[in-house]
Amino acid sequence: MIRNILSFSFFAGGMIFLFLGMLGLLRLPDVYNRLHATTKIGILGAFGVMLGIVMKVGFNSMGIKAITVGMFLMLTAPMAAHMMSRAAHRHGVGLCKESIVDEYGQSYYKDQEKE
Amino acid sequence: MNIGILQVAMVFMALAMIPCMYRILVGPTILDRVVGLDAMTTVMVVMLGVYSFVHESVFFLDVALVLSIISFLGTVAISKYLDEGVVF
Repeated sequence: MIRNILSFSFFAGGMIFLFLGMLGLLRLPDVYNRLHATTKIGILGAFGVMLGIVMKVGFNSMGIKAITVGMFLMLTAPMAAHMMSRAAHRHGVGLCKESIVDEYGQSYYKDQEKE
Repeated sequence: MNIGILQVAMVFMALAMIPCMYRILVGPTILDRVVGLDAMTTVMVVMLGVYSFVHESVFFLDVALVLSIISFLGTVAISKYLDEGVVF
């Protein structure tokens, strides 16, 4: 009984977090801010749903498969976000108007001037 | 007609997929479209997880694993192409 309640709360919480992340994808003003919303909050929501499956069925073959999907998403999302933001910065996508500091751009241009 | 957990969750996930569609269609730069595609694949994986959670069936979890692997490889390939001009 308490296992059902716990698994369903993880499941619903994960879906709410995923929806809020996608809302951030719609609302935020810049590529880098949108990357914050989708990768962090979206992957947290997906991991919550997979954790809910594991809590519902236990550690049989289905639970192991679900936790594999969750761990794979959690391991590869930071790498994908890093590569996307680096490609955006080198591709020339500017920051939004309210940003006040760009440390990667300063260090990058300083290295180029040295060479 | 009975409305259960599966219907409510699927409609909720379809609502979460609308901003990704918007960002893919009208995103100002090409990286916005890449971010939207990556987010849409995450929503698809969660949809398959929702079906597996409600019906307790193991079939669609294989599809979810393969879809997440393909999403990661596609994102890395597009980013490397836009960054350096070559994929490998």
